[in-house]
Amino acid sequence: MEEAAKKGRVTPLASLFPVEEAQKAVRRVHETLSEKESELDRFRGFISDNTNLINLVQKLPEGLHHNIMVPFGKAAFFPGRLIHTNEFLVLLGEGYHVERTSKQTVEILKRRGKALQSQVESLKATMQDLKAEASFFGITASEAAEGLVEIREDYVEENFTERESQSGPPKEHPPSFSEADKVKVAVEDEEYSCMVSRLDELEKAEYEAGYGNETHEDIENVAVSDEEYARMMSRLDEIEKEPETECGNERDEDEKIKADFDQSSDQISLDKINRFSEEYQSRKLLEQTKDKKSATEETLDKRDTQKDLTDRLNCTGLTVQSRPKEEMSHGKGLVHGIMKSTPLEKALVLPEVKENVQAASSLRSEAPLQDSKPGFDSRKAFTGSIIERAHNMQTSSSQQAATSSQSTVTQPSKPVSRFKMQRR
Amino acid sequence: MASPAALRELQRELETKADDLNKIQKDISKNHQVRKKYTIQLGENELVLKELDLLSEDANVYKLIGPVLVKQDLAEANANVRKRIEYMSAELKRLDTTLQDLEDKQNSKRDAVLKVQQRIQSLQAGKAKA
Repeated sequence: MEEAAKKGRVTPLASLFPVEEAQKAVRRVHETLSEKESELDRFRGFISDNTNLINLVQKLPEGLHHNIMVPFGKAAFFPGRLIHTNEFLVLLGEGYHVERTSKQTVEILKRRGKALQSQVESLKATMQDLKAEASFFGITASEAAEGLVEIREDYVEENFTERESQSGPPKEHPPSFSEADKVKVAVEDEEYSCMVSRLDELEKAEYEAGYGNETHEDIENVAVSDEEYARMMSRLDEIEKEPETECGNERDEDEKIKADFDQSSDQISLDKINRFSEEYQSRKLLEQTKDKKSATEETLDKRDTQKDLTDRLNCTGLTVQSRPKEEMSHGKGLVHGIMKSTPLEKALVLPEVKENVQAASSLRSEAPLQDSKPGFDSRKAFTGSIIERAHNMQTSSSQQAATSSQSTVTQPSKPVSRFKMQRR
Repeated sequence: MASPAALRELQRELETKADDLNKIQKDISKNHQVRKKYTIQLGENELVLKELDLLSEDANVYKLIGPVLVKQDLAEANANVRKRIEYMSAELKRLDTTLQDLEDKQNSKRDAVLKVQQRIQSLQAGKAKA
């Protein structure tokens, strides 16, 4: 796919919404809003009058007659009597009056009250809309005044091979995170392949830096990779803690991790690389375990990805734990650790990972690199990458197909040594 | 010269067209007001009809005609109210069509005014160039 296909469009908000116009709109909306408010007050007055009238009409029939002061003209009253206390002439509208009893009058009045209430409700709804409009205009006006700029970029989805060829993390991720989950998955796959390639490079660097040195001195040679490995280690740690809860929530976590991915995509590429490397390392652990399980695991893996995740977590946790105990017997130690961890039937994920990695050969070089990376444990920055892996595994399960079995061969040594170093 | 005379003519034309446009706009606003009144009355009549339907047969209905309250038959009152409602809906419909016509005329007048304005502008530009 084209890398340059991304088109960026920078449009200042002020051009879309001129400042003065936005402010004028705000004022207009405010005026209408105040009008509606006064209408609302009127309605409220009507409703209160209605309620008072209902009360009065209900009270009048309590006596046969009432002694009252009758208004006479404009400025006079005279004492009189109110008789026929149960007869009311009710104005229906359009000049029509009707004789009703107190109870019937109350019914009429109640119906009127209901009609008023519905009118008030509709008016309130209109006012709500107007308020929202006003706030929007206000915000736009302030933003346009500040000179905010709208930047649009087309999301270019790159396929796997392209990703692998790139060593740097994909820069398209930030704009892509507004897409659907499918895109996220694709992005994650791409990220994963990026991670994988990056891990390969790091491993090579480690290898060249020195085989078998498990002290911090080697870190200097591979400072970057150390950082990444440390992050992966911390991720692994986190993942280790999660396994119990993850079985049921794996799906959610996948989504969450995707979200995490989305958020973190905005960070520097190195972070991504670290995550990738962490994932890759954990994957490698799983792969190692998978080696032991051989083909059966593959089939299992395809079915039960959730379990895979748990298993992987266990695997990584155990392998990490077993590291300190075992010395340099990279492959064996790790294998043992992994074997103890779980019935790793689910380690089938490993072949999937392998496929995604597409770097079977690089795995061999990774083993010595792991040995020479003692400093990873300094930073435990794992953040549930394994979950992502699981997801990636799931998504990439289709890819694994036949090649899964091939890639597992060279793995055992690398993950072991790496984790060993990290644990130290 | 011919151009200033043409210019003055065009301006006079513009004025007449603008006057027409104003008249049409006033008509439209009047139409709106009458429509509003009719709509309110129609609503009120519908309410009255509802209440009248709820009345029993022997209820006394009075109509206020000026200062006089005249007793009316319930059936008669019902019929009157219904007729009024029909009349008012017909009026509203008529007003709607009138409003539509007025709006169309307004748009066409506006276009004509714009055209005249453009002609004036081009003429003035031509004169400035020359």
